[in-house]
Amino acid sequence: MRIAFVSAGLVLICAAGAIDAQGTSADGPLLRAHRATPPLGLKMFNPAGPVRLVGWDKDSVVVRGHVAKGEKFYFYGNDSSMKLGIDEHVDGRSNAPSDLVVYLPKGTKVSIKTVTGDIVASDVSGWFYTVSGSVRLSGSATTIEVQSMSGNVDLDVVTPWVHARTGDGNLLVRGAPQDVDASTISGTLSIASPTIARGQFGSVSGDVHYAGSPAAGAIFDFSNHSGAIDLLLAKSVSGVFALSSVVGSIENGFTGVRPIAATSHSVRLSLGRGGAQVAARTFKGTIRLRPQ
Amino acid sequence: MTNAQSHLTEEERHAHAEGSLPAEQLPVIETHLLGCAECADDVARIRTLMTRIHDAPAPAAPPPLDELWPMIRTRIEASKVVPLSPNAIRLDGRRRARRIGSSIMMTAAVVIAAVVLGVRARSHRAASDAPNTEPTSLIAVADSAHAFEEQAQTLLNQLELQRSMLRPEAVVAIDHDLRVVDSAIAELKEAIAHDPNNPALRRLLASSYRQKVDVLKRVGNAG
Repeated sequence: MRIAFVSAGLVLICAAGAIDAQGTSADGPLLRAHRATPPLGLKMFNPAGPVRLVGWDKDSVVVRGHVAKGEKFYFYGNDSSMKLGIDEHVDGRSNAPSDLVVYLPKGTKVSIKTVTGDIVASDVSGWFYTVSGSVRLSGSATTIEVQSMSGNVDLDVVTPWVHARTGDGNLLVRGAPQDVDASTISGTLSIASPTIARGQFGSVSGDVHYAGSPAAGAIFDFSNHSGAIDLLLAKSVSGVFALSSVVGSIENGFTGVRPIAATSHSVRLSLGRGGAQVAARTFKGTIRLRPQ
Repeated sequence: MTNAQSHLTEEERHAHAEGSLPAEQLPVIETHLLGCAECADDVARIRTLMTRIHDAPAPAAPPPLDELWPMIRTRIEASKVVPLSPNAIRLDGRRRARRIGSSIMMTAAVVIAAVVLGVRARSHRAASDAPNTEPTSLIAVADSAHAFEEQAQTLLNQLELQRSMLRPEAVVAIDHDLRVVDSAIAELKEAIAHDPNNPALRRLLASSYRQKVDVLKRVGNAG
């Protein structure tokens, strides 16, 4: 029998009372368990404290964790749609940190929100939001959308689509995404993935670093206002690079290659057989093109 | 489970409770359970829970799809501007062939046009990042910046209404981000005032407004 938990919500709700604060593991006591029927949608909120989501090969959802004293855990929904988390206080008091670990079927589409808590997830898709916590995602996903006001974001995922934003946190894109739209306001944006086919990368004052070699046919657009754009490219790179800065400088480390066109604030360069198209522009940030 | 000190993993506990552990793992897991009360209790609890759930009445099966379809179809038809008549899709063979033929021709024409325009666009793109005075490009990026600016203003108005309800840490982060973006926008506007025909500046301005819109959209989720 592969169904770990056959739903019957009422039974679970009754049983969970007996389970609370009794069953323990490294992840904490069992808070709730429920059968899940793919495609599952799960919405979760934890105002304070970390959240960890683990995609697994079972058709059930298991929630463990430590709920802080005075905080209220909630869980409701059905086999294909669930809501869980920690209630906010109606009087506006801050919540004490509660940590939650959720095991859920791989590929589940989630909508997760925290305020200060960090989010760690593997093998789940969906929307991840935090005000000041960090977000770390890994595994495979169908889509990833991450928004953080000021936290760090680390994406190490295999996915066709990524949309990631943070303010003054650092944003790292690695793994094997295909379409990526990533930007920061003042945090550093780093990209180290060879699989990106279409990428839009931007910042206002944070530095943008790209390391690797764009895939054949890839189209990248880098934009920055005052931060630098640093392109550290494999020697075997193949692409057309259009670099321009209004008042910043452009440093071309590929000295052996003669630019197609060059002015004081723009350079157009074809490297290798010209497979990818890369545009980089800043207002006053430096643009660096360097061989690895 | 990696060593004797650590607890069983979630998967191991569930697999043991439901009796689906591979035979070769069983002795190791059993040994661990003998020496670890925490894991043993947890496995027992999971097993009890599963038994109780099993004994519970099964949920009623949903109606078959055939029964649901007429209702879904009615709702789709009701929401259409022009309802599809029952005979609308029954074209005779000749009409259908003619329609398919003309569709293929139109598709081919569109593809050819797209290829020609694509080649032209690519050759234009060669110089797109260097300042130029091409009026169409300039108008397009100016429009884009203007659209983002209008959207940002609307969202800013919403922010002011929401501000008192936002968490303090969110307000600090938003104000910091808006200061950085507004400073960039101010610099770009000043540069455009001196060089109004520079599309690179307009593009950067549009990009900065887009960043501002993104920040303000994130505010909606910070409440």
